[in-house]
Amino acid sequence: MNNNMNKEITLSVQGLRKTIGKKEIIHGIDFELHRGEVFGFLGPNGAGKTTTIRMLVGLIQPTAGTIEICGYDLKKNFTEAMENLGCIVENPELYPYLSGWENLQLFANMLPKIGIERMNEVVELVGLQQRINDKVQTYSLGMRQRLGIAQALLGRPKVLILDEPTNGLDPSGIREMRQFIRFLAEQEGLSVFVSSHLLSEIQLMCDRVAIISKGQVLQVGEVRELLGQQERLLWKLSPLEKGTAILEKHTEVTVTEEGQVITAYVDGHQTGLWIQQLVEAGVMVQEMNRQVPTLEDLFLHITGGETID
Amino acid sequence: MINLVFNEITKLLGKRRLLVVTLIMAMLMAVFTYAQAKEIERTRERLGTEDWRTTLQQQIIDTQNRLGSTRISDEWRQTLQIRIAQQQYYLDNDINPAEPGAPTFLRGFIENSVQLLLPLMVMVIAADLVSSEKSLGTIKLLLTRPVKRWRILLSKYITLILAVSFIIFIFGLLGYLISGLVFGYKGWMAPVISGFVVQGGELDTASTFIIPQWQYLLMAFGLAWFVSIVVGTLSFLLSVLVRSTAAGMGIMLAALISGTILSNMVSSWEAAKYLFMVNLNITSYLTGQSPPIEGMTLGFSVTILTIWAAVALFLSFFVFTRQDVY
Amino acid sequence: MVKVRQVQAFALFAAVLSIFWFIGLLLTMQGYIGSTMPVMTPIAIDEHSKEEKSAIQKDTLAVLALGDSLTRGTGDSTGKGYVGHLIDDLRQGSDQNVSIHNLAINGQRSDQLAQQIQQADVQRTIQGADLIVLTIGGNDLFRRGETLLNFDMNAIDGYREAYIQNLNFILSEIRKHNNEATIFYLGLYNPFINLGDSETTSKVIREWNYESAEALALYDHTVFVPTFDLFQLNVNQYLYSDQFHPNSEGYRIMADRLTSLLTNAR
Repeated sequence: MNNNMNKEITLSVQGLRKTIGKKEIIHGIDFELHRGEVFGFLGPNGAGKTTTIRMLVGLIQPTAGTIEICGYDLKKNFTEAMENLGCIVENPELYPYLSGWENLQLFANMLPKIGIERMNEVVELVGLQQRINDKVQTYSLGMRQRLGIAQALLGRPKVLILDEPTNGLDPSGIREMRQFIRFLAEQEGLSVFVSSHLLSEIQLMCDRVAIISKGQVLQVGEVRELLGQQERLLWKLSPLEKGTAILEKHTEVTVTEEGQVITAYVDGHQTGLWIQQLVEAGVMVQEMNRQVPTLEDLFLHITGGETID
Repeated sequence: MINLVFNEITKLLGKRRLLVVTLIMAMLMAVFTYAQAKEIERTRERLGTEDWRTTLQQQIIDTQNRLGSTRISDEWRQTLQIRIAQQQYYLDNDINPAEPGAPTFLRGFIENSVQLLLPLMVMVIAADLVSSEKSLGTIKLLLTRPVKRWRILLSKYITLILAVSFIIFIFGLLGYLISGLVFGYKGWMAPVISGFVVQGGELDTASTFIIPQWQYLLMAFGLAWFVSIVVGTLSFLLSVLVRSTAAGMGIMLAALISGTILSNMVSSWEAAKYLFMVNLNITSYLTGQSPPIEGMTLGFSVTILTIWAAVALFLSFFVFTRQDVY
Repeated sequence: MVKVRQVQAFALFAAVLSIFWFIGLLLTMQGYIGSTMPVMTPIAIDEHSKEEKSAIQKDTLAVLALGDSLTRGTGDSTGKGYVGHLIDDLRQGSDQNVSIHNLAINGQRSDQLAQQIQQADVQRTIQGADLIVLTIGGNDLFRRGETLLNFDMNAIDGYREAYIQNLNFILSEIRKHNNEATIFYLGLYNPFINLGDSETTSKVIREWNYESAEALALYDHTVFVPTFDLFQLNVNQYLYSDQFHPNSEGYRIMADRLTSLLTNAR
């Protein structure tokens, strides 16, 4: 994966708004997806995640704003835009009275030039070869999820939109899904848009994330970067007062009730110098930890106390 | 487009609704055939003859005796008088209005089914076409394909028309096969008088013509097909508007049943003739029964039904292509 | 599992059907609105049905009932009337097939019957009849009760004269088409025998019956069947709630009389 590829924009959303009745529920959303990245979409229930996703896939008409998929405007060139998009909105609801293969056949019929080879390919990709001729009503949720992914990938899309892809899966299923999504982005070069309420999921599989609340994007950025802002060093010093005094010369210091000292994260060289000073002043550094915050912490920080659920 | 239609047919066949409709019709045919056979047997026992002239003469006399009763309403009296005039006309022309055989049974059956039974069967299919996608959630898959929405709806509508044609065919085939077991399979060429015109409560026989029964049946089935398409289109609209299939069916069912009730009591409410459900009993123009409301003709009913269907179709497309799907 | 072939076959078949039904619709519209249909010229009358009919009648006793409400059976809760009871008796009495043709109409007067009898199909039925039962005159005389309310001997005489004329016409018409069948004419009874002035009413009815019997006697194979005596005693036991028509019992005794006559006749 080189840098050039990374910059290719596959999905671009600008000034997206939706008004239902007199109430505006989405107040102007902007973000972009690049080729080969997994993009997380994070927000509490009622933040407008679902509405936004449905606008992205053409189920709901935006009141204002544009959505471009691979350069095609979703409204003006619906067909071309949708040819580049694969999606699962909420649960993968398929026709239960048809077999998995028949379901795929239906979707293949609605795409240009998709033959049996490609169908076999996606079935193999999601590992459903054994059960593909059984009726969908006999499938487990995990299998339906896979079939859903198979249909989404059928048209060789450049953008994949997955709404809560790990919802209802067991732990091993979740892990498999995560690996699969990474595989699609890294090996196949797809842009994958993932919404999830499981923060750890986003953290583990996304390159970038948009945080949405009350119909607005609060922050968009690389997951690592966003997390970096929130990285901390935790110290256990003895004697406490003396050590705190030394560190205060260099940075802002917080002392917790348990007697833990928290400072901002700095690079290794800087940290080394601090430790040297502490040791020289006769302060014992009993423990020092680098703490990577969770997205939950991040979210709490950005929204100022609003929780995800 | 053809692929989209194939898709819809796949779903239709996969759902087995056609099979259910076929089974229902087969059962009803069997019941009605039995009832009809019993009725014929009873008449034969009572009159002691199989001569249709005797039977018809007797029917005329019986109806005349009912006319003598003071308790019947004016409309009913008119209906009976027209019936007598018609039967007398058959008798005078020495044509058996009920040549025994499956085709004759079919003729009577389609005349009686066109107002309620066939529309109901069609409704079972049509009311489900769009709303089932909504209730299953598959609409989200359907509308996120690189296919414009109007094309998807059109493919569904074409499928509806195909299904209606198929149902009408199955109706005819089942009716023929099942009733033929009892009444025999002959009678396609039997002459039938059509072209009666009811005007001012009087039967006008000036423009009548004789056609072979198969041609009459083709005409009656053509009309039944038309009525079914109209009812199907209206159900289709409901299916677009309503999320649940059951609600759509309920609304349509209420309309259809109110139609059969209204037809019997609206003669004084002139404007009711613009309601679609009053115009459904369209084969009655072929047999020359008095219309529910004075002044209704075949042309009138066909026009009214066409307008209803056209508006419903337009609304279906208008709503479906703009609808937000949640 | 739905096969692709199946789907395609269905689509093709249904498309052909659609066209077929559409042609049917066009045909109808053309016939009715364009009115290009040839105006009726009676054609294709099945000759075999006539043959069939005569074949049936060889081994069938064809009974024809003509007249008014009495023959129709008004007042009989079983709906049979004396004709129904008679047919039951006949069917029980022999293995022979009995067919019944009841052309009686409620409230029919002799002049109306005279008209009815001129209809082609009625005449055809008369031709095929082996036995004719007939009640007529009651409505000529009683006029739905008017006669009793404004009792006028002169008017009654007028009614009777007209009636006898009609009766003559009816009988001669029947004989014109069928001089084999026995005609059983059932006379009038007096439903008002328990009311005041029964002497007068009974007298009128006796005269009426006498004249009828005289008229009947002019034709061969005619039987005047009196009913006056049947209802003379215990009239209430045999009358329907309208105090005019017989009830089930009344019709029963009328039928009994006919049946005994018929068994003698055969």
